[in-house]
Amino acid sequence: MLEVMKATRLFGGLVAVNEVSFTIFPNEIFGLIGPNGAGKTTLFNLITGLTEVSRGEVLYKGSKISGLKPHQIASRGLSRTFQNIRLFGNLSALENVMISQHTRTSSGLLGGILGLPKARREERQVRDEAMTLLELVGLSDRAENEAKNFAYGDQRRLEIARALALKPELLLLDEPGAGMNTNEKAGLSDFIRQIRDQFNLTVLLIEHHVPLVMGLCDRIAVLNFGQLIALGTPESVQNDPAVIEAYLGDA
Amino acid sequence: MQEILNQYGFLIIQMTFAALMGLSMYLPLMAGQLSLASPGFYALGGYIAAILSTQQFAVERGQLFPLELLLLEMVIAGVVSGILAVIIGVPSLRLRGIYLALATIAFVEIVRVVPQNLEITGRAVGIFGIPQPFPGRTEFLGLQVNQQLSYGLIAFPLLIIVAFAIYRLERSRVGRAFAALREDELAAAAMGINPTYYKVLAFVLGAILAGMVGAISAHFINTWNPRQGVFDRSIEYLAFVIIGGSRTFVGPIMGGLLLTALPEALRALAGFQSLPTSLAQLLAESRFIIYGLLIAIGATFFPQGLISPNLFKRRKERKA
Repeated sequence: MLEVMKATRLFGGLVAVNEVSFTIFPNEIFGLIGPNGAGKTTLFNLITGLTEVSRGEVLYKGSKISGLKPHQIASRGLSRTFQNIRLFGNLSALENVMISQHTRTSSGLLGGILGLPKARREERQVRDEAMTLLELVGLSDRAENEAKNFAYGDQRRLEIARALALKPELLLLDEPGAGMNTNEKAGLSDFIRQIRDQFNLTVLLIEHHVPLVMGLCDRIAVLNFGQLIALGTPESVQNDPAVIEAYLGDA
Repeated sequence: MQEILNQYGFLIIQMTFAALMGLSMYLPLMAGQLSLASPGFYALGGYIAAILSTQQFAVERGQLFPLELLLLEMVIAGVVSGILAVIIGVPSLRLRGIYLALATIAFVEIVRVVPQNLEITGRAVGIFGIPQPFPGRTEFLGLQVNQQLSYGLIAFPLLIIVAFAIYRLERSRVGRAFAALREDELAAAAMGINPTYYKVLAFVLGAILAGMVGAISAHFINTWNPRQGVFDRSIEYLAFVIIGGSRTFVGPIMGGLLLTALPEALRALAGFQSLPTSLAQLLAESRFIIYGLLIAIGATFFPQGLISPNLFKRRKERKA
């Protein structure tokens, strides 16, 4: 599904991501963990095109996506959420979810202004689908509220709904559980599995909360100082000496 | 009624043009682009109309300029402005915020300086005697309308059509793409919106409108010269948007109407005889000082402008 091949990113003299390679298989829930500053979010940005790779390649379904613009990558079916939530704050929840159906719709300037039948039909569909997704994340009763007025956890869920509206095949979640309590995190696990099955997704997620990752992910990659130090099932990664050292330090 | 309308004919049409220019600034802002280029395209449109009507479409002295040709000029001005906006927009919209504003100021300056040195644009003197499409008196809806107010036959429908089009645009796929870019360009791109395409589109729409308004303005004020599209105008139009409100298209319309009427109101105030001369003079001639004050006060106390989207929302909720 997704192949990261020796992806490298330099920021000046700092090697943020250093020759990282791994492959994600279809329908997998793949976890990316590592201490703060390990390069997880940078790697996300490399995959989604927000940051260019300095060296290496990213392949999606066999074709190269590194070097493409973010919107081109998104239109191929990769969608993401952000660690520091980036909703369209002054727009309503509904509009947020309608916006990310952009690549799947085609109404142009004149169609929208003149209200041509095709554009109106499309508009209705977009609205209906957005409402369905808001229902899925439990926010449909507040569809008209501005996104910035939502509670933190609700914003995270709204961001997932927005990402799903793109109808992605690969969903990248950057710390979806950040700021949630233990109960909410348990619910989040179920929810991620549910949307994986319902929308036939492959999921790549960054998460700090170890029990969540261990219980949810099929495989895990561990980054430390920009390097991939372990890759495998949760059990094998948990017992890997390199991982233990990275997290607990050299005793 | 007829008397008053005719007496204020010039002002009424000016207010309408101002509202349209406010909208031409608002269009790029819809996609989050602070462009000050509108006066440049306005000047360009005016020159196109002035040159075409005085040199190409020869009309004999004393004859009315055909209305169809005026509409044709507006179309040509819009198309040329649009094409030029694509050429300027693609490189300059890589700049953000204040840098884009600076680049567009440079463009406005170029459109001011180039005609000063060209024969065809009449150099610093400009172009005179732009023919009039309307007679001294027109009968319209049972009213005797003078020449200046007759321009409302084009200006009013244009304002209504443009306002309605923007209203519809804001509720469409393209309008939502603009709004997404205004809110967060990076997130919009990650959601599949092509930032360059939509930023340039918003910029071009504003340019087309400014060019068209310029074309009709050239006829309206009868003469066109390098003083029409200057940096002062950028600030004036920006004031329409900032004071009127930049979050809904009603804002720039209200801003344009009110701020254009304001100097007249001040002049009327200055006419009261009991006022000290210095104060009267200040009121009569201090338009830009007052604009400046209003921008400062407005930005502090009404950061969303006089007209904010919540104004409508709250009214709706109150009704419900």
